[in-house]
Amino acid sequence: MVTSETALAPLVELRDIGKRFPGVVANHDVNVTIRPGTVHALVGENGAGKSTLMKILYGVQRPDDGTVLVDGTEHAFKSPSDAIAVGIGMVFQHFMLADNLTVLENCVLGAERIHGIAGKARAAFVDLGQRFGFDLDPDALVEDLGVAARQRLEIVKVLYRGAQVIILDEPTAVLVPQEVDQLFTNLRDLRASGHSLLFISHKLDEVLAIADDITVMRRGTTVGEAKPGSVTKRQLAELMVGSELPSPETAESTVQTRMMLSLAGVSLVVGERSVLDGIDLTIHKGEVLGIAGVEGNGQTELVEVIMGMTKPTSGAIVLGDVDVTAMSTRGRREAGIGYIPEDRQRHGLLLDAPLWENRILGHQTQPPNARGPWIDRRGARRDTERIVEQYDVRTPSIDTNARALSGGNQQKLIVGREMSGDPVLLMASHPTRGVDVGAQAAIWDHIRDARKAGLAVLLISADLDELIGLSDTIEVILRGRLVGTFDPTTVTPAELGTAMTGGHD
Amino acid sequence: MTATMVSVQQRLGARRILGLSPLTWVLVVVGLVLVPLVRVLTSSTPLTATTTFTAAILSTAPIALAALGGVWAERAGVVNIGLEGQMLLGTWGAAYFNWYYGPWVGLLGGVLLGVVGGLLHAIATITFGVDQIVSGVAVNIIAAGAVDFLSKAFFSQITPNGGPRNLSGLYSLPTVNVGGLDTWLSKLNGRHWFLVSDVAGLVGSLISHVSVVSLLVIALAVLSWWLLRRTTFGLRLRSCGENPAAAESLGVNVYRYKYVAVLVSGGFAGLGGAFLTTVASSTFTVGQTQGRGYIGLAAMIFGNWNPFGALGASALFGYADALRLRSASSLHALLLLLAIGLLLLTVWRLLRRQLRSAAVNGVIGVAFLLWFLLTDSIPKDLGGMTPYLVTLLVLSLASQNLRMPAADGKPYRKGSAG
Repeated sequence: MVTSETALAPLVELRDIGKRFPGVVANHDVNVTIRPGTVHALVGENGAGKSTLMKILYGVQRPDDGTVLVDGTEHAFKSPSDAIAVGIGMVFQHFMLADNLTVLENCVLGAERIHGIAGKARAAFVDLGQRFGFDLDPDALVEDLGVAARQRLEIVKVLYRGAQVIILDEPTAVLVPQEVDQLFTNLRDLRASGHSLLFISHKLDEVLAIADDITVMRRGTTVGEAKPGSVTKRQLAELMVGSELPSPETAESTVQTRMMLSLAGVSLVVGERSVLDGIDLTIHKGEVLGIAGVEGNGQTELVEVIMGMTKPTSGAIVLGDVDVTAMSTRGRREAGIGYIPEDRQRHGLLLDAPLWENRILGHQTQPPNARGPWIDRRGARRDTERIVEQYDVRTPSIDTNARALSGGNQQKLIVGREMSGDPVLLMASHPTRGVDVGAQAAIWDHIRDARKAGLAVLLISADLDELIGLSDTIEVILRGRLVGTFDPTTVTPAELGTAMTGGHD
Repeated sequence: MTATMVSVQQRLGARRILGLSPLTWVLVVVGLVLVPLVRVLTSSTPLTATTTFTAAILSTAPIALAALGGVWAERAGVVNIGLEGQMLLGTWGAAYFNWYYGPWVGLLGGVLLGVVGGLLHAIATITFGVDQIVSGVAVNIIAAGAVDFLSKAFFSQITPNGGPRNLSGLYSLPTVNVGGLDTWLSKLNGRHWFLVSDVAGLVGSLISHVSVVSLLVIALAVLSWWLLRRTTFGLRLRSCGENPAAAESLGVNVYRYKYVAVLVSGGFAGLGGAFLTTVASSTFTVGQTQGRGYIGLAAMIFGNWNPFGALGASALFGYADALRLRSASSLHALLLLLAIGLLLLTVWRLLRRQLRSAAVNGVIGVAFLLWFLLTDSIPKDLGGMTPYLVTLLVLSLASQNLRMPAADGKPYRKGSAG
């Protein structure tokens, strides 16, 4: 139909795309038009169908209805190679890199026909890196790279294949603010050199900062288009969720004088590396202590040490006025530590067990789940019903397997379970990661309510707005050390970001 | 955990030669000096006699072929416990085709039957996503039954060479002999000069009356290394074992590479079986592999999933096995060799401040030294298993920092990308 038009012709057009999975309509009537040389943002909540749409455009999945047009020609991609062949590349949210291969090997994999895998490929790689300002050592092993470098490698990979359209699936989710700025600089350079970028995000500030066009998705379909100049964040958010933007802000301070958790000189040495180095911290009743830091700086180990999953090399941990340093994880939980793990699918849930059995996990010795040495099925089931009701876990029944729930609902179940044990201390690692806006607000509310009732919370999050909004105090962790204390009422994300990376701009 | 691994990789990764760590190279060089030294000290000449090395080559080759097969499959992310069964199939295939069509076709027949075993494993694990261990065990059981049945069905009527469980008098394959040099080298070996005679023994075994198939094994190890490390094909294959989702997202046909890898793996194992029937002997018997497929698997692991490593570890097994066969008395000298080796390893670990493993190595080393000094021979009952014990011990103490392919053993379903 569209044969010979001018430069204004759309580069990529998705028309009336539909995709169904058993029991779910992931996409229906999706229409997106991408102009050449622009950054096109696709926004929407988790589960709005953005990722499915991208996989269709990149040939990972095939649409049930609709057409994909590139440069006016209709294409039916059978695999990513077909999409790559017409100049479409994708940077996945979860990086698609092989850790044990080198940077160069990862880059040329699948694209060996262009320059082979040896000298010529290396020259092309280095040249590409210099042209667009990506600083990467071709011989480094990928497992030695940080998150930002991996992402740069992903982008170089796509460019190496000569992609004109680059899909970026939530590229900023894993970056600190400074790294986001660096990424945006790279993206602007790419746009200036004529590439088109499809930028998927639910962070509206970022979208407004970088996009030329915005398409909003909700419940599997496109519900609106906008230009950054003529739309506010609030309007976009309302389009996205159909309601107001939730905010993590807490009201007045509820910090009491009684000390709930204190760590004195806690260190952990793994092999020859010091993972935690002389951590001193105190959390009072009713206080939320936020820990900010780039992932992999000891947060995980800190939580594991407090939970008793890892034994610290030295130092003492006191809960209330009991020294729990030598206590088992079981003992600590019974002493009142609730735990929202960072990876709910690996540590928080049995995915193939029903919800009521998941309710028992970690509380298997306590009522209402147990009576003496026996499991109290009826009690556990009744209490699961209560959690589902109170925490708005959307599930067909409490006999449904945890796997069938969306991420947000899984997380709400975990939060409900951990709050039900009447904890005195809550360890919350990324409590709202991968959770949509609605569920996020609910989880924030629960944490705020519990704090008011005197709960002490250790909050670890990569979402700086969440940390600033919920915490009473923020500590920054860098290479296993607490390197700075900040007052959330005055600190900015940029200041935190600087402290987290240990640098100054 | 991962953090320490990274630092280890950083320290060692940069200086890897042919994919092997510096420690491995040190061990190879030390071994070259140590063995002659112990030979002189204990005056146990069989340690480095040409005949010992010749026997070692025959013991090594089938294990090395299984190990190389293992490297191929596992580099593509498929654990192939079925090597033993594929090897068994290879013994029968080699015997059948050798008997009717001659030695070369026999060799191919062994490979073919091994490939059939590999195909079975590939269909189950790759297409149907069956657990790889379960499938591998099944392949072994099926292969054992099939070989039993096939030999009954095809070899019973062959008289006088055949029988329901064996077939003898198979054609043999040509050997290579560098004329003149072999007698000269064997004379040199007989002089028992330190190092010179020992090296002469080793070189002599490699050029005098050595089967072309033995040389083929070395060529195949080199070829495997080159294919896996230096070609596009190898990069793609390895990517399937490291991160198949990433490979697929880049347009690599993961299933196809896994199939190729497992078929090649079966072929190598089949060739190993053929070696047993037509090179190491000229007789087929049921159950001829006697667990060599599993030993190959172990050699592959100790060889760190690297063709040369696998070849080296197999050679260690083969050498110890040959000593057992050639001269039970020299097994006692092996104890001294082991003791010195372990004590040297202790020093190496102490220098690198790896105190715990230094202590373990040291204690075991001293124990072996005492064993050597306080006894005159190894009890007969222990003799049979000593080589395996010794090799396992050496390899498990020497090869740490092993790194298997990240996605090894994990079933992969198409469309998992993204």
